[in-house]
Amino acid sequence: MRAGAPLVEFESVSVVFDRQVRALDDVTLAIRQGGIMGLVGESGSGKSTLCRVLVGLTPLSSGTVSVGGRRVQDQLAQEPLAFRRRTQMLLQDAVASLSPRMTIGRTLEEPIAIHKLPRAATLERLAAILRRLSLPPDVLAKYPHQISGGQARRIGVARALLLRPEIIVADEPTAGLDVSVQGDLLNLLLDLRREFGLTYLLVSHNLNVIRRVTGHTAVMYLGQIVEEAATRDLFVAPAHPYTAALLSTNPAVDPRKRHKAIVLQGEIPSAVNPPAGCRFHTRCPVAQARCASDPPALVELEAGRRVRCHFPFSLGRQRH
Amino acid sequence: MTPLVSIRKLTLEASTARGTAHILRGIDLDIGRGRIVGVVGESGSGKSSLAACLIRLLPANLTRVSGEVVFDGTDLLALDETAMNAWRGARIAMIFQDPMTALNPLFTIGTHLADVLRRRHPGVSRKNATARAAAALASVGIADAPLRLSSYPHQLSGGMRQRVLIAMALLVEPDLLLADEPTTALDATVEAQIVALLEDLRRGFAGSIVFISHHLGLVAQLCDDLCVMYGGTIVETGPVAEVLAKPRHPYTRALLACELDDDAEGGRLVSISGEVPDPVTEHVACVFAPRCPHAIDACRSSVPALRDAGPGRRAACLRFEELA
Repeated sequence: MRAGAPLVEFESVSVVFDRQVRALDDVTLAIRQGGIMGLVGESGSGKSTLCRVLVGLTPLSSGTVSVGGRRVQDQLAQEPLAFRRRTQMLLQDAVASLSPRMTIGRTLEEPIAIHKLPRAATLERLAAILRRLSLPPDVLAKYPHQISGGQARRIGVARALLLRPEIIVADEPTAGLDVSVQGDLLNLLLDLRREFGLTYLLVSHNLNVIRRVTGHTAVMYLGQIVEEAATRDLFVAPAHPYTAALLSTNPAVDPRKRHKAIVLQGEIPSAVNPPAGCRFHTRCPVAQARCASDPPALVELEAGRRVRCHFPFSLGRQRH
Repeated sequence: MTPLVSIRKLTLEASTARGTAHILRGIDLDIGRGRIVGVVGESGSGKSSLAACLIRLLPANLTRVSGEVVFDGTDLLALDETAMNAWRGARIAMIFQDPMTALNPLFTIGTHLADVLRRRHPGVSRKNATARAAAALASVGIADAPLRLSSYPHQLSGGMRQRVLIAMALLVEPDLLLADEPTTALDATVEAQIVALLEDLRRGFAGSIVFISHHLGLVAQLCDDLCVMYGGTIVETGPVAEVLAKPRHPYTRALLACELDDDAEGGRLVSISGEVPDPVTEHVACVFAPRCPHAIDACRSSVPALRDAGPGRRAACLRFEELA
């Protein structure tokens, strides 16, 4: 595959739970080979559902998801194990994702049996990965309660890398990590991308992490993408009022960089009965009459920027 | 003016399977009257334990509580349980981190608020209590206050519940309000609402606030003073703007460097190498020395005192003069 071509494509993806909760609604998004796509939004916006759809854990209600030009549904039906190897997930709670009754070594060896990998060669690869991640070899004999949280996260990374994935879906990889060590983990993820040619979908509620690490960012609200752009453009000049408000909520330490937060009214409405028209209009400080009845489409506003708003850039903010 | 609270040599130890855990290692801190003191530190630094000492809600496995917490002339640690109880919900109130579990699901919001009022002002009439409860809800930005008084906690969103907890704390009119990560469990746009509310309310609040957070930006915005904790000790204190503009302790400086600066792009991300100190190890050296890029032999052979470092400022570093 040529570099820069989309590796992952979501096309009009919708996921409806129990025939009423629209967890994802008409999501179209492409992640190019080798790219890092950041996903931001508040709870209930659909970030985790989008991750689960990509790794094939949550079935679609409509639309398609393709990886490498082939539908995920087809790949799962025809060669499920091969697809599982291609897309690996880093789980948010690294400690809880390890079985407390198995040694780390036994957990890491499970894929050998499941995927029928050559044992000796895979164990050699595992040893090399552990060295790369600065994990001592004796970690394999330990149980999850005997290792630190930072080590547990690196074990999660090792488990994912063992299968030579192309795509890593990282759902809040730094949540709960102390600020003094989160830089280490992010540097590691960036290095691994280069060394192993990985493509990332990275979810974080930490806007600074998104800004520093990702190339593109998609902002979600109530199951929809409301804005997607190159990360730098998005942070410098948010086009959607929700993006502008979300970015403004991040108080900087340096008083010279601080700007007034745009405080939205109310909270995220229920996905069972989302507002008519634009889903954000009930909280939007610049909503107009049309927004309450006419749902905006996600349209390309300028090269590389898509926005779902009738009045983009109407809530701009001055930066620096 | 004497400080509202003077904490001296506060030490907490607990017994664990691996040995004695040193949770707080001789804390000295003054909380000024009417000041908002931000306490920052990583997990395990002791910031929540410090708040727990101030309202004396301590875990049962403690083997040692020593030192003094002198509140307006009274040592809270010397009080018996009955005497201490008279302080809670009267002169000291607390806003907890998780608004989902801090309200009793069996009682209405009105009952929660009236309980707090009746404790503070015994003999207040039911009618008066209801009116004041409704006014308190309105003051924290809850619309339809009379209706909300008869709601149960599960009928309210997380942001509304946190507003209710703030209203309860304000009804107490405490001299000392403890806020332990009051916005951490909330979504970003709701957090912004609560931060704006706290900024509004601080103008009308005469007491002191201890605001615990791991978010330096938030502390910089809301607080007057800053207290940086590491490994059960205070490494630096002082007025927040000055400490953040010119940190004197290498840990404070390192922590600031780890804040992902929002205009730097690309490049390596900063971290502090090494791990946070293990609470079961005895300290015979500077607590930060194993991770400090400036540590010299003297740092590894004695525990540095928290000493004066300019007007209103103190830092626990042997070398801050030469490193400045």
